[in-house]
Amino acid sequence: METTIKSRAFEELAAAAEGIMNPAVQEWREGGGKVVGYFCSHVPTEVLMAAGILPFRMRGTGSTGTELSDAFFSSINCSFPRHTFNQALRGEYDFLDGLLCVSSCDHIRRVYDNWKQNLDTPFIKIMSLPKKVGDPQAEWYREEITLLKGELEKQFNLQISDDQLRDAIKLRNETRRLQRELYDLRKAQNPAITGAETLAVMVAGSAMPAERYNALLKTLLHDLNGVNGTRDFRARLMIVGSELDDPEYIEVIEEQGGLVVTDSICYGTRTMWVDVDEQAADPVEALARYYIQERPSCPRMNDDQPRRAQFLRDLIQEFQVDGVIGERMLFCDFWCAEHYMNKMDFKEAGVPFIQLDREYITSGKGQLRTRIQAFLETMGK
Amino acid sequence: MDRREAKDRALARYRQERDWFAFLLEAAGMMNTPEGQLQVKLLNILLDSKQKVVECVENDKPFIAAYFCTAPELFTAMDLPWFMIMETPFLGATAPYIMEDLQGAEEMGLGTDLCTAIRLPIYYIESGQMPVPSAVIGLLSPCDGTTMLQQILRHNKAWHNVPLFCPDPPYTSDERAIKYFAKELRQMVKFIEQHTGRKLDIDRLREVCEESNRSYALWQEYNELRRAVPCPHGWEIGGAQAFAVSQCFRAGDPRCTDWFRQLLECGEAKVKAGRGANDYVPEKIRLLWFDIMPYGWIFEFMPWLEQEWGAILVMDMFSNFPYTLIDTSSEETMFHDLAKRNLMDVPMIRQARGTAENFSSDIVRIVKDYKIDAVIWPGHMGHKDGAATAGIMRETCRGIGVPFLHIGLDLFDKRYTSVDEVKDKVSQFFTGMGLG
Repeated sequence: METTIKSRAFEELAAAAEGIMNPAVQEWREGGGKVVGYFCSHVPTEVLMAAGILPFRMRGTGSTGTELSDAFFSSINCSFPRHTFNQALRGEYDFLDGLLCVSSCDHIRRVYDNWKQNLDTPFIKIMSLPKKVGDPQAEWYREEITLLKGELEKQFNLQISDDQLRDAIKLRNETRRLQRELYDLRKAQNPAITGAETLAVMVAGSAMPAERYNALLKTLLHDLNGVNGTRDFRARLMIVGSELDDPEYIEVIEEQGGLVVTDSICYGTRTMWVDVDEQAADPVEALARYYIQERPSCPRMNDDQPRRAQFLRDLIQEFQVDGVIGERMLFCDFWCAEHYMNKMDFKEAGVPFIQLDREYITSGKGQLRTRIQAFLETMGK
Repeated sequence: MDRREAKDRALARYRQERDWFAFLLEAAGMMNTPEGQLQVKLLNILLDSKQKVVECVENDKPFIAAYFCTAPELFTAMDLPWFMIMETPFLGATAPYIMEDLQGAEEMGLGTDLCTAIRLPIYYIESGQMPVPSAVIGLLSPCDGTTMLQQILRHNKAWHNVPLFCPDPPYTSDERAIKYFAKELRQMVKFIEQHTGRKLDIDRLREVCEESNRSYALWQEYNELRRAVPCPHGWEIGGAQAFAVSQCFRAGDPRCTDWFRQLLECGEAKVKAGRGANDYVPEKIRLLWFDIMPYGWIFEFMPWLEQEWGAILVMDMFSNFPYTLIDTSSEETMFHDLAKRNLMDVPMIRQARGTAENFSSDIVRIVKDYKIDAVIWPGHMGHKDGAATAGIMRETCRGIGVPFLHIGLDLFDKRYTSVDEVKDKVSQFFTGMGLG
C-alpha cells in the first residue's frame, strides 16, 4: 500500500493486514500461546482474551483462487467464505488451535459445517446468535457466552474468572477508545490518515495481541499528531457494507479523489463506536448486552433498521460526508436489501449514494474507477 | 390514492390469484378420478381461505399476514383469517402474471441474486399489491432473505405502522432452544391478542391441536404407502399438498383431516391394486427431489420426468414426515410441541435454519426408507446455505451409494436456467448413472 505516513508503528500495523501470518502472531505461537480464529464481529473476543487465547479474525487475504473450496461451496455463495475456506484447505490456517463462529449469515455458518467435516482443528464451535435485539435475546446470548466459557475451560484446561473477563473487557475497550481517536482525526478538513490506511490499521487490530496493538496504535496517534493530511481530494465519502478487509479497494476509490472519511463496515465503526460496560456486576451479561443491544448493529439483526439508519445519519453529519458508497459482496442478501432501503432513505435526505457489488478479492479495478469517477461527477465534485 | 383505491389495488392480485385457483378447480373438477377429487377438495379449502381474507379487507375485519412455520394452529384456535406473505411463489407461481411481476421487481432495483420467493412479496408490498393486514407475524428463518423481507416490510410507508412480531429462532436444536422458542410463541400470542382483539382459549387450542394431530397421523400413515414399489403417487398428488393442507390454510380444521383420510384411502387402493403413480408409464427411477418443487415451471418439467424417464418423484423436502404429534395434556406441553414442530420439523426450516446435519441425516433416512435411486438437489438460486452444503450432500450420497445431482436453477423463474437446460442436465445425469 502506498502511504505518506512516516511511522514505524504504521508500517508494522499495515504489514499485519497484508497477510495472514505476521510476526506478532508468530511470536505469540512461539511463546506457547494459543490462537483461535473467529468469523464475524459478533463473536465475543473478550472471552478468548480472558482465557489467554489470541483471537484472530478470519480473512482470505492473499488468496488467488477457490479451486479447493469449490468442491464444498457453489457459485451462488459469497466469495469471502470461499476464499477463506480455500486458504484453510491450503493449510494457511494450520496454526489455529480452534475456530469460533456465530450463526451470522447463510454463507459463513456453512464454513463451520464444512470445516468441521474436513479439517482437524482441535476446537470448533458455532454460537447461536439471536436475530433480534430485545432483552430475551440478550439473555439467550448471555447463556451462549457462559456455554462458550465452559467449553473453552474444558478444551484448554483453564479457568476464566470474572476478574479476567473484566480485564479483557478493559483491554478491548482501550482498543476501541484508541480506534475512535484515530477516527476523530478523520473529521479534520485535511485528515492526517486516509481511508485505506485506516482500514489497514483496523484489520491489524484483529490479527495481533491487544497489548501490542494498543501500544502501536498509541505510537501511531502520537506520530500523526499535528500532521497536515491530504488536500488532494474531491469529496468526503463514507463506505457502508459488510466484510471489507482489503485496503486496496479503498485505495482505488481514493485514487479517484473520493476520500473515505468514515464507514459502517464489519472492521470499522460498528466494532468500536461504543464500549462494553466495565462497571456491570456481571461481565458476561455486559458482553451479551453489548453484542446484542448496544453496539451498532448490522442488517442481520432484525428489528434494528431505524437505529442503523440513524447511526448513518449521525456519521454523515459528524464526518461531514458528501456521499455514501454502499459496498456489497455478490450474493449477500443482507446487504442487498439493506442497500435497497439505504438508497431510498438517502434519496429522501438528498445524500448522494451509489451501490457497488463486488467480489471478496479486489478485482475489476478499472470498472471500480469508472463507477467512482461517474459518482463524483454526478455529485458535482 | 384514497383508501378505497388503495384497498382495491392491494386486492387486485389477490383476487386474480383466487380466480386462477378457481380456474384450476374447474379443470380439476373435470378429472373423474380419486386424485382429481382430492385436488377439488384441496382447492376448495384454499379458495375458502382466500375468500375469508378478501372479506376481511373489504369489511375492515381483523386478519393477519404470517408464514407456514409460525404455528398456524394458534391462528385457527383464535379464529383468525391469515394469508402467507410468500403465498404467490409457493402456491400461485403458475399464475399467468408471474413473469410480469418478476420484471416489476427487477425494475424496482432489487438485486437479481436475491431469492425470487423473497423478491416477489417485496414487489407486492412495495407496489401496494398486497393486502395490508391488522398485524404481521414475521419469519426470521431459514435464510437471510426472509429476515430482510420483514425489514423491508417494516420500512415500507404503508406497512410501517402495521404491528409486527417475529419469533426469534435459535440456531441450536436442543431442549433449551425449544423452551426459548415456546416463550417466543407465547409472546406472539400476546401480541396477536393485543392487536386483533382475538383471545386464545386454551381448550379451543387443545381441540385444534387434536384435530391437527389427526391430520398429521393420517399423513404419516399415507407416507408409509409411498414406500411401496411402485410408488402409488408421484409429483401430482400427496406430498406437497399434504404440506399445504396441514400448514398453509387452516391447520387443525376437520376439512383438512378429511382430505388426508381421502388421500390415504386413495393411496391404499392403488397399492393394493399394484398400481404406480402413472398408469401409462412404468416406474423406473425412484427420485428424491430435495427441495421445493419447481412451481414456476412445474407443468413443463415434472410430467416430462415421468414420461421421458419413468422417473417418479417418490419424495421431496416438503413431503417428508419428520413430525412428532403435539402433546395436548397441558398448555405447557402444547406450546412446547408447537415450538418443536415449527423450529425443528417443518420443511426447509428443519434443514436450513441450523447446522447442516439435517441435510445429511434426512437424505440418508429418505433414501433408505423409500428405496431411492437418485437424489437431486435442484440448487435454487435463493438457497445459499444449501448451496454451501452441496459438498456435504454429495459426500453423504457417495457414502450410501446413491447418485447425486446438483443442478443450479430458479424454482420460480425459468429464465435463470431454461427448462430445456434443466432437462438436458437431468438426462445426462440419468444416462451417466445408467438409470432409466
